[in-house]
Amino acid sequence: MMSPATLLRRSAPVLACIGLLAVWQAASLVLKNDSFPTAIEAIRAIPDILGDKESLINILASLRRMALGFGVAVLISIPLGLLMGRSRSVAAFFNPLLMVIYPVPKAALMPIIMLWLGVGDVTKTLVIFLGVSLPVIYHSFEGAKAVEEKMLWSGAAMGLSPAQRLVRIVLPAALPEILTGCRTGLVLALITMITSEMIARQSGAGNILFNALDMGQYDTVFAMIIIVGAMGICFDAIFERVRARLVRWSEPQFDLPLSFS
Amino acid sequence: MTAVPARSSEWVRPVTSQEPASAIIEIDHVSQVFQTSARKDHLALSEISLTIEEGAFVSILGPSGCGKSTLLYIVGGFVNPTSGAARMKGQAITRPGPDRGPVFQEFALFPWKTVLGNVMYGPRQQGVRASEAEAQSRALIEMVGLKGYEHFYPKELSGGMKQRVALARTLAYHPEVLLMDEPFGALDAHTRTRLQNDLLNIWERDRKTVLFVTHSVDEAVFLSDKVVMMSKSPGRIREVIDIDLPRPRRRNELLLDPRYQKYVVDIERMFDESDEAGPAL
Repeated sequence: MMSPATLLRRSAPVLACIGLLAVWQAASLVLKNDSFPTAIEAIRAIPDILGDKESLINILASLRRMALGFGVAVLISIPLGLLMGRSRSVAAFFNPLLMVIYPVPKAALMPIIMLWLGVGDVTKTLVIFLGVSLPVIYHSFEGAKAVEEKMLWSGAAMGLSPAQRLVRIVLPAALPEILTGCRTGLVLALITMITSEMIARQSGAGNILFNALDMGQYDTVFAMIIIVGAMGICFDAIFERVRARLVRWSEPQFDLPLSFS
Repeated sequence: MTAVPARSSEWVRPVTSQEPASAIIEIDHVSQVFQTSARKDHLALSEISLTIEEGAFVSILGPSGCGKSTLLYIVGGFVNPTSGAARMKGQAITRPGPDRGPVFQEFALFPWKTVLGNVMYGPRQQGVRASEAEAQSRALIEMVGLKGYEHFYPKELSGGMKQRVALARTLAYHPEVLLMDEPFGALDAHTRTRLQNDLLNIWERDRKTVLFVTHSVDEAVFLSDKVVMMSKSPGRIREVIDIDLPRPRRRNELLLDPRYQKYVVDIERMFDESDEAGPAL
C-alpha cells in the first residue's frame, strides 16, 4: 500500500495536467473566440490526427529527423567537448568559433542552409544537429575540465595511455554533466524540429500544425500542440530515467557517509 | 644537535640481513621552476639530491610550500623537473608507471566504481584475469579493514575509508615504490592515528619502499627509517635524519620511548631555528 503522501507525489504530474486543461477549458468558454477551441474540442481532434495515415507518416518523418540530428550531434559533441576540456590547444581553437555560433538562433541559419542544401531532410536534420550540439559540447567541456588531475594521475600510474584516460576516466567522471547537456539537447531537438518544419513546409509534425492554422482548423492546431508537448514530456521522462540509472553513483541520496574510520 | 645520530650513508635493515641496501630511487640535482601569475619565476625546488634505498620507509618533512609534494610528483613522473633527473633503478623517470604507485591526500578514487571496482582497476589494466583480480582485490580490501564494503560507492564512505580503498587500489598492482602524498592530511586526528598504525602493520609485512610526504613531525618519526627535512623558498634539503628505533613499532610503546621523544623534539627545534634564521612566511 502506498502512503497518501507518496500517492500524491506520484500523481502530481497528472494532477498538474488536469488542472491546466481545466483552466484552458474555462478560459476558452469565457472568451468564446473562434481561434481558441476548448480543451475538449482539441482532445477530440487527437484521434483524427493519429488515425490518419498521412499524418502519422508526417509525424514519423519528424521523429526520424529528430533522432538522427540528436544522435549525430551527441556522437560528435561529446568527444569534441571532452577533448576541449582536456586540451588547451583544442579549446583555444574551437572556443572562439563556438562563442560566435552560440547566441545565433539556429533557425535563423535555415534560409542559408536551405539555399545550399534545399528544403529536404538534410537541411532540417542539420538545423536540429546544430541546436543540439552546443549545449552538449558545452556541458561535456565543463565536465571534462572539472575532472580531478589526481584521478588522471592515478590512472596514468596504472598504465593507462592518454587516449585510454580520456575514454575510461574523463568520460565516466564527466558523465553526470554530459547527460545534463544531453537532456537540454533533447528538448532543443524537439524545438528545432518544429521550427525547421515551420520554415521549410514540406512534411512533418510542424507542417500539419501550420497547414491547419492556414486553413483555420484551430482544433487540429491545438491538438498538434498537445501531441508535440506530450512527446516532449515522454522523451524527457524516459531520458531522465536512463540518466538517473547511469549516474546513480553520483546521486545525492548517498550523501550521508557511513561513520567509521 | 649531537643527540641526533650522525647521518649514515646506508640504511641498515633491523632484520639480520647483512647485504647492503641498494638504491632504488636516485634524485640527482633536481630543480623545479614554476611560473607564477605575475610572470615571475618561482624556484620551488633547488638542486635536490637524494638516494632512497630499497625497502626503506622515507618521509619528506617540511612546511607547506617547501616543494615536498612536487618532489614526490617528479619521482612519480607526473611532473617533469626543470633541470636534473630522477631515476628508478638507474632508468630516468619520464612518465608515470605501475612500478611507482601514488596515494594522494585527495584519495582520487573513481567515483563511478565500487570499492571492489576501484581496487580491481589496476590489476585488470595489467591484464590479470577478472576472477584472479577479484580474489586478490577482495583479500586486499579485507587487509585494509573494509571487508563487507566491496559493493559500496566512494560517495558512501567516510574519508578514512576512502583512503583505505585508495591504499588497497594502489597496492593491488604491486608497485615497487609507494608514493604517499600527505595521505592522512585530510583526516581527523583519531582516524589519522588508526590509519598510521594500520599502514605500519601492512608495511612491516612486506617492506615495500615508501616515500611519504608529510608536514607532521610525529607522523614522520613514528613511521620512518629516514626523515628528509626540507626548508622552503627555495625548497632545499636541510637535514637527513636516520630514525634508529626498533621495529615492529607499537604506538603505545613508542610514545613513552625517550628516544622517540628526543627525535621529535630535536626535529621540531631544528625547524624553529630555521624559522628564526630565515624569512618567516
